[in-house]
Amino acid sequence: MILLSVIEFFGHLHPLLVHLPLGILLIALMLQWMSRKNKYVALQPAVPLILLIGSVTAFASCITGYLLSISDDYDQSLVSWHMWMGIAVTLVSLILYAKEKNPAFAVNKKILSLGLLLLLMITGHLGGSLTHGSDYLIKPLQQIFSTDSMANTSIKPVANAQEAIVYSDIITPIFQTKCYSCHNANKQKGSLRMDEISLLMKGGKDGKVITPGNAGESELIKRLLLPTDDEHHMPPKEKPQLTENQVALLHWWITNNADTQKKAKELAQTDKIKSFLTALQAAPVLRNERTDIPVVAVARADEKLIDQLKGKSIIVLPVAQNINYLQANFVTDSLVDKSDLQLLVQLKPQLIWLKLANTNTIDETLTNIGQLTNLTRLDLSGTQITDKGLTQLTNLASLQYLNLAETKITIQGIQSLKKLGKLHTLYLFNTSLNSQDRLSLKKMFPATIIDTGGYNIPYLKEDTMLVKELIKK
Amino acid sequence: MTQKELHNQRLLREAERAVIRMQTRRHFIKESAMGLGALALGSMFGSCTNSPVQQSGVTFDPAHPLLPKLPQFAAKAKSVIYLHMAGAPSQLELFDYKPELMKMDGQDCPQSLLQGKKFAFIRGVPKMLGPQAKFAQHGESRTWVSENMPHLASIVDELSFLKAVTTDQFNHAPAQLMVHTGSARLGRPSLGSWTTYGLGTENQNLPGFVVLTSGGKNPDAGKSVWGSGFLPSVYQGVQCRSEGDPVLFIKDPEGMSRDLRKASIDAINEVNAEEYKSYNDPEILSRISQYEMAYNMQIAAPEVMDISNEPDYIHEMYGSKPGKGSFANNVLLARKLVEKGVRFVQLFDWGWDSHGTDASLAIDLGFINKCRSVDKCITALILDLKQRGLLEETLVVWGGEFGRTPMAENREGKPNPYKGRDHHTEAFTMWMAGAGIKKGFTYGETDEIGYSAISGKVEPFDIQATILNQLGFDHEKLTYEFQGRPFRLTDTRGKVITDILS
Repeated sequence: MILLSVIEFFGHLHPLLVHLPLGILLIALMLQWMSRKNKYVALQPAVPLILLIGSVTAFASCITGYLLSISDDYDQSLVSWHMWMGIAVTLVSLILYAKEKNPAFAVNKKILSLGLLLLLMITGHLGGSLTHGSDYLIKPLQQIFSTDSMANTSIKPVANAQEAIVYSDIITPIFQTKCYSCHNANKQKGSLRMDEISLLMKGGKDGKVITPGNAGESELIKRLLLPTDDEHHMPPKEKPQLTENQVALLHWWITNNADTQKKAKELAQTDKIKSFLTALQAAPVLRNERTDIPVVAVARADEKLIDQLKGKSIIVLPVAQNINYLQANFVTDSLVDKSDLQLLVQLKPQLIWLKLANTNTIDETLTNIGQLTNLTRLDLSGTQITDKGLTQLTNLASLQYLNLAETKITIQGIQSLKKLGKLHTLYLFNTSLNSQDRLSLKKMFPATIIDTGGYNIPYLKEDTMLVKELIKK
Repeated sequence: MTQKELHNQRLLREAERAVIRMQTRRHFIKESAMGLGALALGSMFGSCTNSPVQQSGVTFDPAHPLLPKLPQFAAKAKSVIYLHMAGAPSQLELFDYKPELMKMDGQDCPQSLLQGKKFAFIRGVPKMLGPQAKFAQHGESRTWVSENMPHLASIVDELSFLKAVTTDQFNHAPAQLMVHTGSARLGRPSLGSWTTYGLGTENQNLPGFVVLTSGGKNPDAGKSVWGSGFLPSVYQGVQCRSEGDPVLFIKDPEGMSRDLRKASIDAINEVNAEEYKSYNDPEILSRISQYEMAYNMQIAAPEVMDISNEPDYIHEMYGSKPGKGSFANNVLLARKLVEKGVRFVQLFDWGWDSHGTDASLAIDLGFINKCRSVDKCITALILDLKQRGLLEETLVVWGGEFGRTPMAENREGKPNPYKGRDHHTEAFTMWMAGAGIKKGFTYGETDEIGYSAISGKVEPFDIQATILNQLGFDHEKLTYEFQGRPFRLTDTRGKVITDILS
């Protein structure tokens, strides 16, 4: 047991050591290449020494890497490729060292150097694939070509949970989002692979994880239910956890013999399970779909710009922790000037909520505002804008909330907003609209909630009457 | 000076320099060794403790304690208006319709309802008291509302009712403290203080947490229901008035010009800045920023607190009258404050303690008058916020500190002179609206006489957790380190009432 722990400890040094040969050998190759020029010929004597250091660290990495590979569970073929490439790096760097020391040695130095460079890159990449997953490097690029960038991390709603096949439509997505990252074709922690039903049923190094028909006895459920701090708890504390509903659904599936073919309606359901199943359907997700924060992440805004705006007592801050999208608000300072607008325009990628209510905003201001195409919420209530200004807003395609209450706009101006396809709520209280206009607005914006306000609370004589007096009489 | 003297002087200076050089080098090495050690130690222990600052994600910046801060997650509510009917209104004459109770009217209360129970005033065997108001269903949601609130009945489709709220305190002061500070005892920060501590406030010229009272008295628990407890004092509620000066002593004294005021505040701040240099006490920075805010407030507060510049149709809508102190005026003010970026507006209206000891506290007299004084303006508040596009981002909460008994009160065992009900902890009604709360929804149910909760039971901690949730905070993670442990509003309890969230 102690030996195993020691092995594991040295194995865990691998990620630390492995970067040394990478850097050192690259330096050696770079110096070697530079010293071909007369100007840098003085660098030449350093090359063999650096090569030697590099190959020694490469050797250490090979040893620790081997220890790591036997103490943890990785994809065998990927590991063996990585191992042989690593050994090759060590050997080639040693040969190159010998050549540097003894130029008579009968090998081609150029080919050897190039080969070493290639080997370094390949080994490094394979190592990266082992730790981060084989699609790690190009994943960000895939997002450019695919709009479905969240496919791997969030569960898509099912159309009708009762008609869905339990294993493939309900259970698999849970595994996919919460388990596969460590139990897949490339990486099998605890020798468990979950992405194939047969392998999942086979279990891991501690035996079966699923006992069909007996969820309470199934290691999978047991581990999910352990306290998060328990070292056997799954998923590990720092990874995304399953929700209560998801655990319940897994429990239900295993209780029903972990069937892979049947539809939900064919399995016995308690009221609780029924409600969890309904929760998987599109409806509740649709409700969340209208979010005024874009799903696609954005880069952090320039702090200097934000600080400049803050210096003018304009409130600019992210909409929440760990979100880079910004909200801006002129509630403390109701004077919007040119320089403020120029700064705002520079925050265009991040700025999604903007409140200019009761400021000195005029039509000209909207020229700049019209450039802030990521805005989802815009409040212009109580400003001096007119119909003319509204025509500047037609590019704000993401706009969901637009507040034009207490402005001088008319039906003509609002017409120019027809293009705003995502507009969800439009506030028009105290504008010059008549009842005819309101009717035509409804036709113009069939999918938009339009609030023209002007609510009347009828006068009741009881409102101001005291009951006590009535009784006395 | 002779040559020799000059030389000596030079030598001396050289020696001095050498000593300094030695010292600095030694000093540097010594310090860096210490520094490195400390760094290493810090990082080693860093993983052992749960630093509250990290946990809550809230950093307290003493120089700018009220600057707006980020919520933990994207918030539905930017502001809260909390309408507290101090004294506890009767749910049985407003929202919790119990026809069965009518049938028991005048009968002796069954022993099963009295055994092992404690009441504030009921002694012996009281008589049951049927609902003292007619009920009807309203809106698309078919919500039961009594005739006491005819206007509110017209907007039930905007509200989410909690019909089974419970508490464990049957006296006003502790129960009010429970609702607002999460503890029946004094010393905890209030809901509004936690909110401004977590979120700061948007308008830097106005307080972030404003308190308005009406009904002739402050709530029984006194000012501690809007106190900051152990949080920095800058987060306590600022009590404003709708009559006279909005904040006491906000006007400059006679003979003091604005320039002179500015000059004196600058001078005080300079002295404070000097003090800070020598003592490094962050409270001094707070004090400096408070002086600056007070100076700005002298202009901004009277402006926003003046409701006389509101158009007539708004006054008609709210039933407000400028120049008088009233709940309606306070409600209108609440809207104006929220519009100006005030984070938390807390309203207390006193006089809902319908024991039946006199006519003003009778369930069929004074209580009805109280209802009439709040019905129209609360309805106006919801509709006015709605038409201004503010209801989406403002959470409105209505309720008392507990409910009232289905039995008539019999103080000292004798029937009270008027119809009244005693304090009741086991079931009462509250409602919430706006900012991500379901519209036209009812959660929770009481038994057929409205005595106890039978489903959807919630307690004040759950309501607090829900309010914080709408403001973008996990109530378990908004904490403050005090007396060696992280404190939070809901302490060890609280569950967000997800059923009422849209």
